Order: sequence, then structure tokens, then C-alpha cells
Amino acid sequence: MDEKVVDYALEYAQSKKVEYAEARAQTQQRDQLVFRNGVLEAYASAVDEGFCVRVIANGGIGFASSNKWTKEEAKEIVDIAYKYAAAAKRKEKLVFAEEKGVKTKWSVPQKKKIENVSPEDRIAEFVEVNKALTSCGVNIPATIAQCTIDLTSKYFINSEGSEITSFVPKMAGYFFVTVAEQGKTEQAYKQFGYSGGWEAFDQWDVKGNMIHTAKVLKDVITKGKAVKAGNMDLICGPEVTGIAAHESCGHPMEADRILGREMSQAGRSFIYKGGDYWIGTRIGSKAVTIVDDPTVEHSYGYYAFDDEGVRARRRFLYKNGVINDFLHNRETAARLETRSNGSSRSVNYDREAIVRMANTFVLPGDMSEEELVEDIKNGVFMKSFTEWNIDDKRFNQRYVGREAFWIENGELKHPIARPIIETTTLKFWSAADAVSKKVEFAAATCGKSDPGQGIPVFTGGPCLRLREVYVK
Amino acid sequence: MSDIFAKTEEIVEKAKKLGADEVIAKTTFGRYRQVRFSGNQVDISLAWNDYVTDVVLAWKKRLVAGQIHDFADVDGNVKKLFALAKVSQENPMFGGFAKGRFKYATGNADKKLMAVEDPTDYVFEAVSAAEKAAGGEVDSGGIFFAKFEDVYLVSSEGATGVDSRSAVELSIRAFREREASGHGVECSSTLNDFDATRAGRKAGEIAKLARNPKIGDEGAYDVVFDPLIVGSLLGMWSGMVSAFAVLAQMSVFVDKLGKKVAPDFVTMRDNPAPYCLYNRVFDDEGFPTQENVVIDHGVLRTFLHNTSTAKLFKTETTGNAGLPVPNAWNVELDAGDVTKDEMFEGVERGLYLTNTWYTRFQNQRQGDFSTIPRDGIFLIEKGEIKQSLKDLRISDNALTLLGNVAGISKERQHVHWWFEAEPPSLSPYVLIKNVHMTKSK
Repeated sequence: MDEKVVDYALEYAQSKKVEYAEARAQTQQRDQLVFRNGVLEAYASAVDEGFCVRVIANGGIGFASSNKWTKEEAKEIVDIAYKYAAAAKRKEKLVFAEEKGVKTKWSVPQKKKIENVSPEDRIAEFVEVNKALTSCGVNIPATIAQCTIDLTSKYFINSEGSEITSFVPKMAGYFFVTVAEQGKTEQAYKQFGYSGGWEAFDQWDVKGNMIHTAKVLKDVITKGKAVKAGNMDLICGPEVTGIAAHESCGHPMEADRILGREMSQAGRSFIYKGGDYWIGTRIGSKAVTIVDDPTVEHSYGYYAFDDEGVRARRRFLYKNGVINDFLHNRETAARLETRSNGSSRSVNYDREAIVRMANTFVLPGDMSEEELVEDIKNGVFMKSFTEWNIDDKRFNQRYVGREAFWIENGELKHPIARPIIETTTLKFWSAADAVSKKVEFAAATCGKSDPGQGIPVFTGGPCLRLREVYVK
Repeated sequence: MSDIFAKTEEIVEKAKKLGADEVIAKTTFGRYRQVRFSGNQVDISLAWNDYVTDVVLAWKKRLVAGQIHDFADVDGNVKKLFALAKVSQENPMFGGFAKGRFKYATGNADKKLMAVEDPTDYVFEAVSAAEKAAGGEVDSGGIFFAKFEDVYLVSSEGATGVDSRSAVELSIRAFREREASGHGVECSSTLNDFDATRAGRKAGEIAKLARNPKIGDEGAYDVVFDPLIVGSLLGMWSGMVSAFAVLAQMSVFVDKLGKKVAPDFVTMRDNPAPYCLYNRVFDDEGFPTQENVVIDHGVLRTFLHNTSTAKLFKTETTGNAGLPVPNAWNVELDAGDVTKDEMFEGVERGLYLTNTWYTRFQNQRQGDFSTIPRDGIFLIEKGEIKQSLKDLRISDNALTLLGNVAGISKERQHVHWWFEAEPPSLSPYVLIKNVHMTKSK
């Protein structure tokens, strides 16, 4: 990274008639290992680096990037960004919500430095997992595994005096398994994520997790029964609670969606000005408080400052069942006459920073998992999910269970094969009457924007009990 | 130009000198321009200049890949990559890269797409067309995107080629009411064949029809799929004919080669022709791309291969090598023998779906999945659109849907949008019988 070129880009941008200018550079060393059936298909290792400028001129925004580190190139991309901004011809001029310039450096510590783990050891860890998995007594015709290691340095400066440098090491693991028994197949994938060093691999317990998953799939095939459709109580495990929090709370609370900026891709929101839902409207029961928090240490979605230089903080999205605080960057905050809450993220130097979640989860309650179950006469415990989706206004969603059990008179019974809850955001969160004490996180890659920006996040929560919902 | 080719060649030579068995270097100099808009106004205009060389090398069946940006530190990068190969693990399935020198067709790149003047004009044209077709004010958003890439490929196995690839697309979603929207797309490899108003008009027409929607009923329907949502279905099916998906058990087509998977009148091909968005004259191994008939009159004829997967399946590469797995470039469903209007007339009671998103599987091997239609959803009775609907979900099976295709229209359209209709396709209207729809309870 040549910071002088980045400095020059900002200086040159400021020489034009701009209301705001920033330059952001990123260097990312990415190592990616892809395995099929325990064999390394390919080892990819590359450094991706470049810089971008974003300017506001005449109330329009222009963005341009390059990976050619010369002043001439910097001048060219500034000229393009300025030209594009000025050509926007907006009736409503865009401005950014007020922020003070920040000068700081931040990084994520590693207990076991990734750079000190040799490629051979990285390969060996995943090969070993596959070996253990395929000899665990379950018939496994195929596995896919992937390990991605990112070492990312950023340099951010803007016309308000900000100068922020950061370094974040990030680890991601992915395992996809097919189980075949009695002429039938079941499939599952697990994703793991961590900001920090190679210590992540031990914390994930990939081997234990995948063997458990394979045995679950075998049980679904050999012992799973269909559920008799009807209204019943449903306990969602942390994985299910987490995906629901992400899909039907985090996404509809993104202010750029609310304002329509994502309308033709990721969609809009059931929350909009003049509609039935806005800040202060009840969307769930009092038991439900959902936060988005980038400051969870070593989380997959961790950051200390966002990609507009705003300090990260916890946001209470649904508070005791009431719509409370949207996710904002500086553009949406200005449009809704508030301040940014540090939700602006970009996956690379060549992508604009937009409103994103970080780690979205339901806050814990005071009950144990056993206490949640013992109060149920007939119901289902959906511990994890396979298929899921939600409409683009974030109101109609569906989760299909992977590991699930029938509950009868307060006790877990036989496995249930692919139980389904297909319901609305309002019904889902309103049916919650209790949450357990322990929060667990799952890693995910959240997709949004065009070109797509797959961004690392945690989803999570405790177990959540829903009363009298329709399960089929 | 020749300088970039020479530098690309130098990377291959350096890797070979170090001892690599096989090497491919592909340099792409890309210029990408985009306008994003919503609320009928431009939100941001973006430009990316990207100079990258993808390098893949094999040493004793150890396969490693890397990137060199703007030819910075070629020596160091190649040495690093080769050192990685030495400590990597053998992949017994690696069958080498395509061997030989090849002749390539001439591309059709449009140099006007190197630097599009006033890209916002296309946006305003589309917005106006949407408003006119909708018969009133609309709230519309979307993207305009243009690309021009110069690609230089050198393989140690003989292939060398230069290709220019251009594309332009516009995607617009127009809302006539809060829950009455339509989506239109316009895709082309050249500016001459590009008409932004077509996309706007389509979005506006559907948005107008979609007003006052009611929540639909669950059940099995005969469904007319618009070309845009057919693009999503073709993306799903073509992803599953990649040999990699088959090997990974992520496909309903495992064990289906040579078997009937669709009615006789269904022919699906992959064809990276000059007119399509992902046009190219060679694949990532330097093998000439070609038209591949994947499903021929209902019979699955081939998977899509690179050299390695082809060897595993005891066949020839189909020119679909991506780095590292084979994939489709541009999927085409052959035109049928009925018009769109005739197709509608044949539906006693059914649905017309115009778009979808968020397709997810319970099991890719078995094909059970759901996806959520968005924008116009319509009830058809006696061949006529009777009512705008909302809040329905397709909950069905990928193979069953293909087997239940009951009609294909003569009219076809190039479609592509976001992650949802990917890769690009040439899609007709398609009638599928007995499609299962569910909704929230």
C-alpha cells in the first residue's frame, strides 16, 4: 500500500469543488484452501490491494477505484468520481450526517499468529477433520471444505481530518457434508468465523461439530418422523433464533433499505415512513430484545471503527419487542435527520461502504434450556435449520429444521424430519414468551448490494420459545 | 497491448523456469462503470479500473492459484506461488490444462463501452419509460452497468489468446404502489443493441397490473413463468450440470447422464455467443468456448467440464473451465412453438410469476427447495389475468419442475440480474404444471 498515492488522491479531490471527499485503501492477503473429499483441490494465495475515492459534489456522490499505485491513476479516478458526482442531477441534494474527524489506529490481536502456521499445518488440520468425519460410522459419499484466511490492512482519510489505520486478521471455515443411508440422502453445511489468529481452529471444534452434524443427518433419515401439522409450541435453538434475528430484524432495520436504496436488489423493508411500522411500533413480545453489536471481541463481524470512520457501538434494534434504532451510515442518517451509529461497511477497496449488520443477536433471558422444554405439552425443538428464506420486504419467512425433536410432556422424544415454520415477522416475534440464558453465535456471510458484497457477520442468540405457532 | 501480452507470457516463462509443470496466466484489464439509482434519482455513480493477472500453476499435481496486480513484483509473486506448490498437497484428480494451440473466433466487443458518456441518461430513459407504461408516478430503482475487458491468456500447454469482452445491462424495479412492483432488465454485449426503455417499459407494465394485490392461496398451480424468473430457474439447473456440482453431490443430475430429465420439447444449451453478457472466445484454460447442448430434447447429454473433470468422466472438455471449477457462461432454452399469448390462453386456472429471489435448498442432491416470487404475481383464469396476488412462495423440487415443463414460448429475452438470474440466459416464457405454492400462517 502506497499511502502517498492515497494522500495525493484526497488532496487532489479537495482541490475540486467538493462538499466532502474521502480516500480509502486496503491491502488484503487472502489464503484459500478448497478440499473435496479430504483432498486439496487447490490452494489460492493472493494479495489484493488498491484504493478508492468517494466525493460529494453538487449534492451527488461519485466513487472510483483502482489498483494501480500511481499519482496519474489517482488523478484519473478522482476526475471520474468528481465528474460522476456532479452529473447526478439530484433534486434532493445528498449530504452526510455530521461527524468529527478521528485520528486513530486499531487492530485485532492474535494469540496464535496465522503467519506462523505453515501451509502444511493448515492443510493437515482440514485433512484430519475429514478423516475423522468419514470414519465416524456414518456413510458419507461427499464432503466439501474450505478455509479462508484474510489479513486486512486499511487506511482511511477524509476531508474532515480523519486518519484511521487498522489491521484485522480473520479466519473462516466451511464444511458441507452429504450423508447417504437407506437409499436416501441428507445434506448440511456449517460455517465458522473468527477475527483473530489461528486459535480459532481449536475454538471451533470443527471435527466435533461435523461428526455431530453427520450423526444428526443419519438420525433424520433412519429415525426421523414427520410432524403432524398444526399449532404447537416451538423452541428455536440459537442457530434458528440467530437466522431469524438476522433476516427479520437486522435486515428490515437497515436504513438504506427503509429509504429504498436497495430496492432492486436486496429489496425494501416492511418498515417505512407512513406505513404500519416505524420507531416505537410493537413488533414482538416484551421477551424480545435484539441488538447488533460490532464490538463483540473476536466476533466474525468485529470492527472498532466503520468504513466511514465512525466509532462502532451496540445498537438496540428491537427493544422489549418495540422497533427502536435503525442501522445507519452517514448518508441515511442525514436523510432521516439523525446521526450515524457506525454501520457502514465495505468488503474491499473497490466497493462503496453501505449500511450493514455486524453481529445480530437476541439478548439472553433468565431461564435454562430445560426450563423452556419442561413447560411444553406438545411441540418441536428446532435446533438448527437447512432451507430458509424471507421475502424482500422482510416479512414472510420460512425455516426448515435440520436437527429437530418432538417434545411431549416436557421431554425430548424422537427426531422430527424437516419440520417447517412459515410465518410472518410479526407472528414470529410476538409468539416469543421466554428466552434462555446462554447466547451462542454462528458465522455467516451476509449478501447485499450490487456488485455483491458478502460481508462477515455473526448471527446468534439463546434458545427462544414460541407459543402456539403453526408447524408443518 | 503487446506489452501486456509479453508481461503475461513472462509470468508463465518464469514459473516454468522455476520448475512448474503447467502454468496459465490470464491478465484482465477491466474498466467497469455503474450507476445506482432509487427514488427515480441517482444515488451514486461508480467506476473501477482493475489490472489483474490470475496465475494457476501445477507442480507434481499440486495446484496453486494466485494473483498479480498491475505486474507488481512478478518475480517475488511467482516464486512465492511456486514455493507454496512445493508444500501443498497432491490432487490426484488434477488432469492438466488443455493441450495445444487453438484458433479462436473473433469477438464482438464494443469499444464504445470502454468509456460510456453520460451513463445517467440511460437511467433517466428507463425511469421515464417505466412511468409512462405504469400510467402514473412510480418509485423506481436499479442499476446501469457497463464493462469492457481486455483479456490476455498464456498457457504453458500451448494456448495463447487475446479477447475483448464488453457488456452493458440495466435493471430497473418500479413501484406503482408500495406492494405493486415490476422488474425489467435489458442485457447486451453492445451499445447498439441496447435499449434502456425496454426494461423500463416492462417494469412499468407489470407494476401497473400488480396494483391492489391480495394474499394468494396455497396449492398446486399451472404457472406461466416470465423470462426473468425463467432466468433464475436456468441458473439453478445450469449450476447443477457443472461437473464439479455433480462430483460434490450438489446436483439433482447425479446418475442422470443419458436419461430423460424433461419433456421432448425441452432443449437447454450453454452458449457464450458474441451477443451475450458473458461472451468469450476461450475459457480459463485457453480452450475455445463452444455451444454445448446440455439437455437435448429432454435427455441430459453432457455435464459442463474443464480438462480435469472431463478426464474423470472419460470425455472431452466442453470449454467451460473457470478457475478452478467449470461453470456455465450463457444458458439458452430453445424457443417453443407457441406464442406467449397462446400459452396464457391455454391456462384454465393458474399463476403468472414475473420474478423471484432467495432460492434455498433443503438438499441439493434431492432438489427440494423454496424460492420467493417478488414483483408481479397474478392469478390467471380462463387465459386472462384476473387478480394481482402477493406473499406466496414456491416450495417444490428442482427436478420435478423440469419434468413438468408443459410449454415454451416462441418469444425469448436476454436476462440477467444480481445473484438471482445468474449466469445470463436467453429465456422464453415457460409453462410448468402442478407447481406447489405455500404461504405464511
